Amino acid sequence: MTFFADAQEFLPALLGGLRVSLLLTLLSLLFGLPLATVLAFGIRSHNPVLHWLSVAFVEVGRGAPALVVLQFMYFGLPTAGLTLSAMASATLALTWTTGAYCAEYLRGGLSGVPQGEIEGAEALGMTWGDTLRYIVIPQGWRIALPSLMGFAVILFQTTSLAYTVTVPELMSQAYSIGSSTFKYLTVFVLAGILYAMISIPATWLSVLVEKRLNKHL
Amino acid sequence: MVRVRDLSKAFGGNPVLEGVDLTVLEGTVTALIGPSGAGKSTLLRCMNLLERPDAGEIEIGSHRIDARSRFSKRQLYALRRETGMVFQHFNLFPHMSVMRNVVLPQQRILGRSKAEAEHRAQELLARMGLADKGGQYPNKCSGGQQQRIAIARALALEPRVMLFDEPTSALDPEVGAEVLEVMKELAAEGMTMIVVTHEMGFARNVCEDLVVMADGGIIEQGDPQRIMGDPSHPRTRSFLHAVLQR
Ligand SMILES: Nc1ncnc2c1ncn2[C@@H]1O[C@H](COP(=O)(O)OP(=O)(O)OP(=O)(O)O)[C@@H](O)[C@H]1O
Ligand SMILES: [Mg+2]
Repeated sequence: MTFFADAQEFLPALLGGLRVSLLLTLLSLLFGLPLATVLAFGIRSHNPVLHWLSVAFVEVGRGAPALVVLQFMYFGLPTAGLTLSAMASATLALTWTTGAYCAEYLRGGLSGVPQGEIEGAEALGMTWGDTLRYIVIPQGWRIALPSLMGFAVILFQTTSLAYTVTVPELMSQAYSIGSSTFKYLTVFVLAGILYAMISIPATWLSVLVEKRLNKHL
Repeated sequence: MVRVRDLSKAFGGNPVLEGVDLTVLEGTVTALIGPSGAGKSTLLRCMNLLERPDAGEIEIGSHRIDARSRFSKRQLYALRRETGMVFQHFNLFPHMSVMRNVVLPQQRILGRSKAEAEHRAQELLARMGLADKGGQYPNKCSGGQQQRIAIARALALEPRVMLFDEPTSALDPEVGAEVLEVMKELAAEGMTMIVVTHEMGFARNVCEDLVVMADGGIIEQGDPQRIMGDPSHPRTRSFLHAVLQR
C-alpha cells in the first residue's frame, strides 16, 4: 500500500507540474499556430524572398531536434546578449517547432482544397481575398486539423524536454521528487499516468473531431 | 449581346483556340458541340476569364476586354459578374449548407443584405424544385439536385449570360433530364445561354443556334435542325454520326 500513500504525497507537486506542462503546450500552440499560418502562406508565396525565408525557417524547425532548439534558446542566446527566463525560452523554442511542423500540415491542407471549388468561387466573381477567406482557408484548416491535433498531443509530451532548462513542469517535478526520495519507480509511473490521462483522451477527441468534420465531405 | 472576336489560346505552345469568332444574341440559347479536345471548355472558360486568352476580344453587355492589352482586376470582375457558369461537377462549397452556398456569393459580390439574399435564394431554390433543401449540405443531395443548386447559385447573381459546360455529363440520364428541364424553363424565360452539351435532343429542340467546333475552331454554325439534318462539313457529319450512334 505504500504506492498509494506515496502517490498521495507526491500528487500535489506532480499536478502542479502538469499545469505548467499544459500551460507550455497552450502557449506554444497559441503563438505557433498563427506563425504556422504565416509560414504556410510564405512557402506558397511567389515572392522568392518570402518563399525561401519561410522554407528556411520551417526546415530548421523540423530538422533540428526540439531539444537542441530548446538548449539554444536557454544557453545559447545569453551568449549573444539575450537572456530569457526558462519558461520564455521553452515557449519560444516550442513555438518554433510548432510553427515549423504545423506550417507543413497547413500547407498540405491548403493545397488539398479541390481546384473545382476554387474555380467555382472564381467563376462567381469572388475576389481572391474572399476565395481564400471563405473557401480555401476554412477547407484547408479542416483538412489539416486532424494532423494538427495529433501534433498537439506530441507537443504536450515534448514539453517534458523543458525539464532540461529548469522549467518546473511535470517531468522536472517527477525528477526532483525521485532524486530526493529515491522512489523513482513510483514517481515515474505516476508521471506516466498523468501524461497518458491527457494524451489518450486528446487522441480520442481528435478522432471524433475528424469524423465530425468529414460529415459533409 | 455576347461577342468573342478572333480569340486565340495556347497551352504550352499547343494551340487550343485559333481565331474564334462567335456572337450570341441576347435571349437566345446556343449549343456548343464537337469532339473531345475541340476546345469547347476552353472557349467557355475564356469567356469568363477563368483562362486568360492570348489574343482576341471578349464583349459581354457593356463590358469589353482585349486580351492583348492590360486590364485591371476591376474590369475582370466586372466581366465575370455578367456571366454565370455551371460546371460538369457542380463545384459547390461542401462545407456550407445549400442556403449558404446561394446566399454568400450574393452578399460578397452584389453586397446584398443577408435577408435580401436569403429571400432571393429561397425563391430560386423553390423554382429549382428544392424549396426544402436549404438546410441540407450538398453531399446529402443527389447529383441532379446539386447541379440545380449550382444553377440557383449562379442565377442569384443575376448574370446576363449563363455558360454551361456539360452540365448533365456526370449525371444518370433520368437525373440529367431534370436538369435539362430546368434549363429549358430558363430558356423559355429568355435567359441568354451558351451550352456545351452532348444532348442532341436539347440542342435540336431548345437551342436557336448550333455551333460545331473541331480542332480549336468553329467549323459550322447555324440552325440546329438544319445542321443536324444536313451537315455541310464532313467533320460535323462524322461527329453527329458518332454521337447519334450512342
Ligand atoms: N489547363 C490546360 N493545360 C494544358 N492543356 C489544356 C488545358 N486545358 C485544356 N487543354 C488542352 O486543350 C485542348 C482542348 O481542351 P478542352 O477542354 O477545351 O476541350 P473540350 O472540347 O472541352 O473537350 P471535352 O469534350 O473532352 O471536354 C485539349 O487538347 C486539352 O488537352
Ligand atoms: Mg470540355
